Amino acid sequence: MSETIAGSRRGANVEFRQVGMALPRIDAPGKSHGKTRYAGDHVMPNMLHAKVLRSPLASARLRRIDVSKARELPGVACVLTREELSGRLAPTDIAGQTGRKRLATDQPILVNDRVRYQGEPMALVAAETVVIAERALELIEFDLEPLPGVYDPFDALKPGAPIVQGTDNVVAKYKVRKGDTEAGFAAADVIIENTYCTQFIEHAFLEPEVGLAWVDENEVINIRVSTQVIEHFRFIADAVGVPHNKVRILGSLVGGGFGGKEDVTVEIYLALLAKATNRPVRLCYTREDSFFGHGKRHPFTLTHRTGFTRQGKITAWKVDMTADAGGYVFLSPYVLLYATVAAPGPYRVDNLHVDARAVATNNMFTSAFRGFGAAQACIAHEQQMDEAAKTLGIDRLELRRRNFLRTGDLIATGVPIESAVWSDECMTRAWEALGERTPDDGPIKIGRGVAAYQQSYGRITWLHDTSEAWVGIEMDGTVVVRSGVTDIGAGQVSALAQIAAELLGVHLTDVAVYNSDSSTTPLAGTTTATRALYMTGNAVRLAAEAVRERLLRRAAQEFEVAHGKVDMADNRVFVADHPERSMALKDLVAVCASEGVHRSELVMFRAPFTGEIDPETGQGRVHPDYTYGAQAVEVAVDTGTGEVTVLKSVGAHDVGLAINPDAVAGQIEGGAAQGQGYALSEELRYEQGQLTSTSFSEYLIPTAMDVPEYKAIILESRSGVGPFGAKGIGEPALTPVAPAIANAVADAIGVRIFDLPITPEKVVNALQRLGN
Amino acid sequence: MYANFDLHLPKDLSAALAILGDAGDDAKVMPLAGGTNLIVDIRARSLTPAALVGIGDISHLRGIDVTNGQVVMGGKTTVSDILRSPELTDRASSLVDSARVFGGQMVRNTATVAGNICYASPAADLVPPLLVLDAEVTLERREGERTLPLSEFYLDYKRTARRPDELLTRITWPARSSDSVDLFYKLARRKGDAITIAGIAVALGVADGKCTRARIALGAVAPIVMRALEAERMLEGETLTPELIEAAAHQAAQAASPVDDLRASGKYRRHCVQVLTSRLLTQAWRRLS
Ligand SMILES: Cc1cc2nc3c(=O)[nH]c(=O)nc-3n(C[C@H](O)[C@H](O)[C@H](O)COP(=O)(O)OP(=O)(O)OC[C@H]3O[C@@H](n4cnc5c(N)ncnc54)[C@H](O)[C@@H]3O)c2cc1C
Repeated sequence: MSETIAGSRRGANVEFRQVGMALPRIDAPGKSHGKTRYAGDHVMPNMLHAKVLRSPLASARLRRIDVSKARELPGVACVLTREELSGRLAPTDIAGQTGRKRLATDQPILVNDRVRYQGEPMALVAAETVVIAERALELIEFDLEPLPGVYDPFDALKPGAPIVQGTDNVVAKYKVRKGDTEAGFAAADVIIENTYCTQFIEHAFLEPEVGLAWVDENEVINIRVSTQVIEHFRFIADAVGVPHNKVRILGSLVGGGFGGKEDVTVEIYLALLAKATNRPVRLCYTREDSFFGHGKRHPFTLTHRTGFTRQGKITAWKVDMTADAGGYVFLSPYVLLYATVAAPGPYRVDNLHVDARAVATNNMFTSAFRGFGAAQACIAHEQQMDEAAKTLGIDRLELRRRNFLRTGDLIATGVPIESAVWSDECMTRAWEALGERTPDDGPIKIGRGVAAYQQSYGRITWLHDTSEAWVGIEMDGTVVVRSGVTDIGAGQVSALAQIAAELLGVHLTDVAVYNSDSSTTPLAGTTTATRALYMTGNAVRLAAEAVRERLLRRAAQEFEVAHGKVDMADNRVFVADHPERSMALKDLVAVCASEGVHRSELVMFRAPFTGEIDPETGQGRVHPDYTYGAQAVEVAVDTGTGEVTVLKSVGAHDVGLAINPDAVAGQIEGGAAQGQGYALSEELRYEQGQLTSTSFSEYLIPTAMDVPEYKAIILESRSGVGPFGAKGIGEPALTPVAPAIANAVADAIGVRIFDLPITPEKVVNALQRLGN
Repeated sequence: MYANFDLHLPKDLSAALAILGDAGDDAKVMPLAGGTNLIVDIRARSLTPAALVGIGDISHLRGIDVTNGQVVMGGKTTVSDILRSPELTDRASSLVDSARVFGGQMVRNTATVAGNICYASPAADLVPPLLVLDAEVTLERREGERTLPLSEFYLDYKRTARRPDELLTRITWPARSSDSVDLFYKLARRKGDAITIAGIAVALGVADGKCTRARIALGAVAPIVMRALEAERMLEGETLTPELIEAAAHQAAQAASPVDDLRASGKYRRHCVQVLTSRLLTQAWRRLS
């Protein structure tokens, strides 16, 4: 269920005919008819099947590994261990586009000596069947010497702690020093201090990691894989030891990513095995493999100290946060940076002090997850605002209103926010949409909560992000878009088609998009960081505009009117004031073709490029822009059993402009469900680095029985830096949900649970403490 | 997944019993019903049966009948069958309630009552309702059949009175009239498709304002699904007051011996036994008066 509230048409010089309409997405028929071929649906003749042997221990030394019995098993084609890899490393950093040196994050592809987390890969097997490959794993003998490990980031910071990474386990640090916090606290009438904790979270995508690799006649290693990032081909080539142009990644429609397919997953294993055997190799993770196969969401501990005047104005804010990075670096530094930038949320804080660190442990490594640190930051700052409101005796919404950023204010990193900040509008509308309050019923207490956020869209500006797209028009007037962008299920490709259809006057169904091939489609960067629409949408817009411009110029000649008087729609070109003077688009295209008018365009769109922030003050630009919005929820808490039921949940977000409102609503509803799991039921538990919640019977994502009918409210300020003023919604949709629920539970029972997830048992314990 | 086992697909009961009979005491030859426990365990390698005897084709083992004041349910009856049965809505609302919150749709369509009983999980959701309904189970082997109360079927954690060559073919209980109410509540960490933390069933009968029959069964809070006999005795013959209900619920909670696991602590489980038993007794009593 969704409604759209349009802002002013400021900046829109095109009258929209396709953009902004809830058209059926071009990927919908294939998916709903079961015709879409995902990466796992591809097979090849003579194909082998791969399996990965993983370490059962979290901290150990690999003394001996003997694969001779496995190699002897009939049907086993290849077994690889450290012997064959001779110490080869894989970088775990973000896929670079700048060619610059990256952080020192390398991980041995297969355990060389030390095991740093449970599940670290020790051997690869390729065999004629999956069953033979599984048997082969059991025939591998290994000898692991347990080493003392460290399983809590605070322990890992203590002197004498086992060292997992670097010299002191600190894999990243960020600071903000803005204004004068001392003076700010001195000026405060009330100071609120609290510590909030978040948990390890699993992406739980429908489609576990899967891929198929083969080496072709030109020695190119082709890998068809479920990934958010086809541009890992460079990493993969480096890791395997071949030139960059000898690895080709073919993406498919992805059955869910959420950041979990942002890092390399199966690609390097496939490349190594395909190269070693010269046969196609398929590797398909089971759900159990997937739990061990990709990084998780970082648990954070966040201590907030906030000063307020009696009137509720923030005078100073101090945040200290520690994230568990697990066994390897991966994207922890970036996640930490996002958390730092988002630490004070969508509020104007003149005196801000942030200290943040990511710490290596022998837990599962942590990396990208929708919200990317900003979600954890929001969980803390939004609960802190509610705690402050309670202490100050000011209405929770009102306290937020008194502190929301306005356009032109400086955000945490000292740069002004240039786009619209519709936090108040979003919060107010979300709250109003809750409607009449459900009454308490005996032991069932009702509570309401709200949370607002600031979430970036687009990559860190010193990564110098670019995206390319090619748009062309065919002889029959149909349109082709080529771009490397991957579609991870949010409708990324369909949005590009909608933009091209808009600008070239055709229907959505007249546009074909070829995407996600690192060798033949222009490289578009990652589908991460809520950047796909912003970056590739702009590239497509610019390319389509260039083609449009040429076509219209030629048409103006034909109609003998001034250039600028011609428009196109419904596969026709016409004089804007005299639509009866028109011609079929295909006839115009034929004229252009015969005269050699260029009917296509390749465009590179560049995000703003900056240097890094000041390491001492954290001041400087970090992102192209930010999305603002809010979630409001109503919950029922059973004070007897502690069960929490979400009764109503409304997300209201200023998305700048919704290219396709249904796709936007889909993101908001999905974010509401994923955030609900984050708040109430999902938790990966590690005991001494060992995963104890190893399946979906213990890792509990919300089911259809657990969720209410979500409501999505779309606001459009047309102020973003995406195409036509769009902002981003992929990550923002999730970010405020968990804190809104936490606030609602606290509202219902009058006591806060400071560590997520809010399980029934924690609710009962909190109530019992309150009673005593 | 790999697993090696023989799969038998007998066409009728006697063929099934013959295969089981030939295997005798060999617990490695196991009946296969819906497979929703068995296949999961085989995949996880916690079970390595030598042979499975599929009973899916034996149609007369499936179905629900009410005859001579008895409800008779075939062992192969699925959880979805329970939900679709008009006979049960009035006669066994606790069982219908437990079927409603059982697994997800796909599991409900294939999971069977006999499988739920024989797997002997302490968290089996159909068992607390069947216990408060005074269900009896009929076990058949080549040599003949025997019937015993469900309350005597469970010996210890995942141990039952069933011999390896026996099939559970029928579950029966007396159909009761309107002077009796039975209720079930499943507490879990989420509402859909979750393993039970505490599954509580109660049944009350009333005559002349006095409780004539009280049954309380507790799931997932002891090595087996258990009856809270002491608490039941406190109620029978009495007019239920809030104080008495509270005392009985307290007694039930004391009788439980819950463990700490990933899902919940024993302490929390015990607390919830008290809360839920008291709530269900209160509701049941209110409906009767
Ligand atoms: C996703 C999922 C969700 C689940 N949710 C629930 C839930 O909410 N509540 C719940 O209680 N359970 C749940 N279960 C467990 C399971 O579905 C039930 O226990 C089910 O009733 C088992 O029945 P089945 O027919 O599948 O048994 P099977 O797996 O075929 O057999 C189970 C055991 O019983 C034996 N057996 C089967 N039939 C007979 C017979 N006629 N005579 C003698 N022995 C027999 C088998 O040999 C085996 O030992 C769930 C399982 C899954 C996979």
